[in-house]
Amino acid sequence: MPDVRALEVTDISKRYGPVVALRGVSLGLDYGEVLGLVGDNGAGKSTLISIISGVNRPDSGEILVDGRPWEQAGARTTRAAGIETVFQTLALVPTLSIAENMYLGRELYGPGRLATALRRIDKSRMRGEVEQAFDRLGLTMPAVTSKAGSLSGGQRQAVAVARAVLWGSRVVIMDEPAAALGVAQTEAVLGLIARLKAEGIATLLVSHNMEHVLKVADRVAVLRLGRKIADLDLRERPVSGMELVGLITGASPGSPG
Amino acid sequence: MHQALRSRRPGGVRTPQRTHSSLRRLGAAQGGGLWVALVLLSLYFSWSTGSFFTQSNLLVVLEQVSVLGMVAVPGAMLLVSGNLDLSVGSVAGLSAAMFGEFDKILGWPMLVSFLGALAVGALWGTMNGVLVSYLGFSPVIVTLGGFAGAAGLAQTITSDTTRSGFGSLFGQLGNGTLAGVPVPGVIFVVVFGVGAYIWYETRTGRHLIAIGANKEAANALGVSARRLPCVIYIISGTTAALGGLIVTAQLDGASVQIGVGLELQVLTAILLGGVAFTGGRGSLWGTLAGILFIGVLDDGLILINVGPYVADLAVGAALVVAAALDVLYQRLERVPVPDAPEPALEPGLVPALERTPEEGADGA
Repeated sequence: MPDVRALEVTDISKRYGPVVALRGVSLGLDYGEVLGLVGDNGAGKSTLISIISGVNRPDSGEILVDGRPWEQAGARTTRAAGIETVFQTLALVPTLSIAENMYLGRELYGPGRLATALRRIDKSRMRGEVEQAFDRLGLTMPAVTSKAGSLSGGQRQAVAVARAVLWGSRVVIMDEPAAALGVAQTEAVLGLIARLKAEGIATLLVSHNMEHVLKVADRVAVLRLGRKIADLDLRERPVSGMELVGLITGASPGSPG
Repeated sequence: MHQALRSRRPGGVRTPQRTHSSLRRLGAAQGGGLWVALVLLSLYFSWSTGSFFTQSNLLVVLEQVSVLGMVAVPGAMLLVSGNLDLSVGSVAGLSAAMFGEFDKILGWPMLVSFLGALAVGALWGTMNGVLVSYLGFSPVIVTLGGFAGAAGLAQTITSDTTRSGFGSLFGQLGNGTLAGVPVPGVIFVVVFGVGAYIWYETRTGRHLIAIGANKEAANALGVSARRLPCVIYIISGTTAALGGLIVTAQLDGASVQIGVGLELQVLTAILLGGVAFTGGRGSLWGTLAGILFIGVLDDGLILINVGPYVADLAVGAALVVAAALDVLYQRLERVPVPDAPEPALEPGLVPALERTPEEGADGA
C-alpha cells in the first residue's frame, strides 16, 4: 500500500448562519484503516460527513483524496472517486426497486455499443449484478425488483449498506449503519467493515454505540462542539468505553490529536 | 415461513416476497384500471353507436388528443418529479400569437416564424425551470404566474387581434395527413414514443421518480435534482408552443384564445393516469390511458349526441374516482407486512468481496 492517505481533511470549518458546526477539524484516514467518529448530538459529525460525501461544501479547509487536492464538486464526483456513504436516512427511494436503488446515479448502459450510444440502460444486467452482490455478501433479500418501500427497516438498512460496500472502492462512510438492525445483522455489518479493511478500503464509522466502535475501529476521533478533541490510536493502547464517554460529554478535557 | 425464505438457493435466485404480491398487483393496476375502464368505455360507445371502431373515428380521436397528449408527456415527467407546469395553455397561446406577429407583422419567412414561436415556448420554459429548479421557487406559484403572465403578454403584443392566412404549407401542420394519419397525430405518436423511451429505457425516468419521491436521497446520490427538472420545463414550454402552432395551423388563425384550458386538461389526463400529485410515483403508460380516456369520452359522447358539458362532468367524476382509488392504494401500501423476512446476514458466511472491474471503473 502506498503511504498516501485515502482521505485527509485539514482545518475544515463550516457555519450555518450564526451556528458554527465545525471549527478547524482535521482528520486523516489510511487505506485499510477503520476510523471511529464519535461525539454527542450537535458535535458536528453529520456536518463533517455531509462535507466528505460531497453533499455540502466547507467554508474553509482542504480535502485530499489519495494525496491529491480534492475540489468538492458535489455528490456525483465524490461517488465517482470511490467514496460512498451510508446515510443515516439511508437515501433510498421507496417507489424504486431494490436494484434501481442500488444503481441510482450510476446506471449501466448497454448491452452493446448502439444501446450505449442511445443511453439505453441495461436493466437485466443491473438486476443480475445486484443478485450476485447480495449472494457474495451473504444477504438474503426479497426479489431485487421489489420496491424499496415494501421492505422492512432492517432490509432497507441492508440495501443501503450493501450499496456503499459494493461501490466504495476507496472510502466508505457509515453513519449509524446498524441503527435498525438486530443483533445478528449488526454483527454482520461489523463483519463487513472487517472485510472492507481486509480489502484495503478506508472506513469511517459514525456510531453512538461505543461497543461497536471499539470492536472494529483502529482509531477513534472524538468531536465536541465542532472541534476534534481527541484522536486515539487503539492499536497503541486500549481505550475504554468510559474514557470515550468522558471525552464526548466533556467530563475529561481531551487533547486535539 | 421464515426458514423457507431464509434458505439461500445456490443459483443466486432470490426468494420472492409472496405476501406482498397482491398489493403490488393492485399498485400496477393503478394505471391498469384505467386501461380496463377505457376498453369498457370504447365497447359501450361501439355498442351504442356502431361507428366507434371505424378507422376514421379512431383517427379523429387521435387527432383530438394530439395537442393535449404531446404536452402531457413532459407534464407527466414534471409531476412525477414533484414539479408542475400550469403555464402550458398560456404559453401555447403566446407562441401562437407570436407566430402571427412574426409572420404577418415582421414579415419573417414562415419557417423562421415557426422556429421563433417554438423558441418563445422554450424561453418561457427556461424561465420556469430556472426559477423553480435553481432558485427554489414554488412550481405552483411560478407557473401560475406564467399562466396569467403569458396570456397577458400575448394580448398586449397582439392587441387581441387574430392574424390569419399563413399559407397551405403551414396548414399541413394542422390539417395534413401522413400515410392517412393526421399530421398532429403523427407528431403526438413520435413525441410519446421518444418520451416512453426516455422514461423507461434511460436513467432519466428513474431519476425523475427519485427526485419526486426523495429529493434528499437524489441529491446525496449525485442525481441532478436541479438540472433534470429544468430541462423538462424547457421541453414542456417547447411542446406547448408546438401544440399552439398546430392549433394555429388547424384554424389558420393565430389567436390568443388558443390553449385556453389546456393546462387543466393536461393535469387531468396525468392524474387520471395515476401519477401521484405529490410526485414520486406514476407511469407514462398510465398517462397515455388518461389522455385516451379523455379523448374517447369526448368523442363517444358526441357520437351518442350528448352535449359537451356531460363530457366535462364525466371526466370530473372519473378524476374523483381515480383520486379515491389512489388514497385507497396508499392506505393499503402502508399495511405492515406480517411475514417480511429480515435480511439474513450471516457473519460466518460473508466471503471476501469480489469487485468486478466494470463495477469499480464505472464512474459518473
